[in-house]
Amino acid sequence: MTTRLSADQDLVRHLSEVSVSVELQTPDMTLNIGPQHPSTHGVLRLVATVDGERAFNVQPVIGYMHRGYEKLAEVRNYPQITTLVNRIDWVSGYANEVPFIIAAERLLGVEVPERAQFIRLILTEMARIASHLVFNASYPLELGAATPLFFALRERERVLDLLESVTGGRFHPNFNRIGGVKPAQGAGSATRKVIQDLPKGFLAETRAAMDKVLATVNELEALVAGNEIILARTKGIGLIPPETAAAYGMSGPNLRASGVGFDLRKVSDYLPYGQFDFRVPTGANGDCWDRWWVRLEETRQSASIIQQAIDSIPAGPLLAKVPKIIKIPKGEIYVRAENPKGEMGYYLVSDGGLGPYRLKIRSASFSNLSILPWILEGTLIPDIIAIMGSLDFVLGDVDR
Amino acid sequence: MTASPSDTAATSLEELAAALAEAVGGSYEFAHGTAKVRVEKDRWVESLRAARDDFGLIFFSWLSAVDWSNQVEVGDALTEPVEERYEVIAAVADISTGLIVLFSTDLEKNNPRLASLVGVYAGANWHEREAHEMFGIEFDGHPQLIKLYLPEGFLGHPLRKSYPLLSREVKPWPGKVDVEGMPGQEDEEEPSTENPEA
Repeated sequence: MTTRLSADQDLVRHLSEVSVSVELQTPDMTLNIGPQHPSTHGVLRLVATVDGERAFNVQPVIGYMHRGYEKLAEVRNYPQITTLVNRIDWVSGYANEVPFIIAAERLLGVEVPERAQFIRLILTEMARIASHLVFNASYPLELGAATPLFFALRERERVLDLLESVTGGRFHPNFNRIGGVKPAQGAGSATRKVIQDLPKGFLAETRAAMDKVLATVNELEALVAGNEIILARTKGIGLIPPETAAAYGMSGPNLRASGVGFDLRKVSDYLPYGQFDFRVPTGANGDCWDRWWVRLEETRQSASIIQQAIDSIPAGPLLAKVPKIIKIPKGEIYVRAENPKGEMGYYLVSDGGLGPYRLKIRSASFSNLSILPWILEGTLIPDIIAIMGSLDFVLGDVDR
Repeated sequence: MTASPSDTAATSLEELAAALAEAVGGSYEFAHGTAKVRVEKDRWVESLRAARDDFGLIFFSWLSAVDWSNQVEVGDALTEPVEERYEVIAAVADISTGLIVLFSTDLEKNNPRLASLVGVYAGANWHEREAHEMFGIEFDGHPQLIKLYLPEGFLGHPLRKSYPLLSREVKPWPGKVDVEGMPGQEDEEEPSTENPEA
């Protein structure tokens, strides 16, 4: 017994000598996350240097989803390009078409009927609700709360079904035409006299569906806002000051979460938003929690905008008179829109031909993501997931 | 309809562009609600810094280029010949008023170089990397001018007008009528299963 004790004492003495004479090393490790990691929302790869639990020098590697739309647009004609651009941010495909088609219309000088503008506005807001609901489904899931996913996706399904009933597509509607929106199907040779309009009952159904969306948003808030784990993981995490956000070109809900009330729906006239009463929610701190909350509140505002628009939608044609073969006059224009992810813009250079000479696509997620190396510097590894999720990017919108 | 903000916004945007052009010693164009200020490439960074500091354009929206070229491999050629050049465009905005201004400068076709904006707008980093790989423009002073989308070792600059679109080389566009021929019609050939290399 005594020998055993003395052996232990020897060991203890030995260890204490080790700890004082040898400095413990924590060598830096390179950690690769993605491109197939579920938390990266697609095919984003991060290469981080890890020192203990903290990450440094995080380098995003993108391009796995690059489809070269800017090059492809140079060999397409204008009506064909909407099929390309609604695949940029596929979570809100409809919203991508709108600024492009408005750019083409403004260069062409065509006046879009007011009813078509209202329909565009309603469908854009539905796309925003669908996009924000996906965020509300996936973000709590990434933080460990599975239940909100079922609530949010059930509601998003309702919105997508309605989008499908009018456009024929859930993700890639391709519903815009230069001069308006696509008239309804079913006007064959025998029924040529049928008035071309939205499917019967669509507006009333959408109006009723918005009440259900609002109810679900309340449920989601109750589920998430009182959850201590989510609060602990998002409050004060991933702070972005407004000046930094602006210098990186961060836009949309991410910028508004930093306290900047910048919303293109309020300052630009690409769609008749000026006729409706809605608030632009802004965050107080610019942390992950604010980014979650701003999107939740925007969903409510969008539902309200849709209901107001349905109540005041004017009658009239859906499509202006445009030539069959569309040549856009020479000129250049930049049109941007407040898309669910932020500022989406198209810089269109036309030389008077059937297609653009150059089409620069400004997508929101690209700029929103470019802040990652700055914001992830020195964060805890679990916070990487919380911060990335809160930025709500789509890799198709990053890579284009 | 309620009063649209476009009328007042348009006049103030043109005024802003005029004031910017005067301050940075350039010229401006205003058409279709888009304001563009042209500056000399030597004054590129200085102009954008003035726009940020003196005019409050703190929001960096995007940066890209246009390849003005008389010889094109893809798409339609220009109807009138232009002076061959790369036009670099940077869009910056004021987030309190929402006004956005495009800055543009011309670079020669041979060895296009421009000073980097990363020191003025941090967000220019990725946009310049994209313009670098897509157009072959060198940005002096960029901290990490490596490829962004394309794999290392990729040859060529895909958004240059001289860069062919491979899918079009393999199969020409069907033409004005966007319908492919019926099977067995005309010169429709069965795809060969033989190895052409053999």
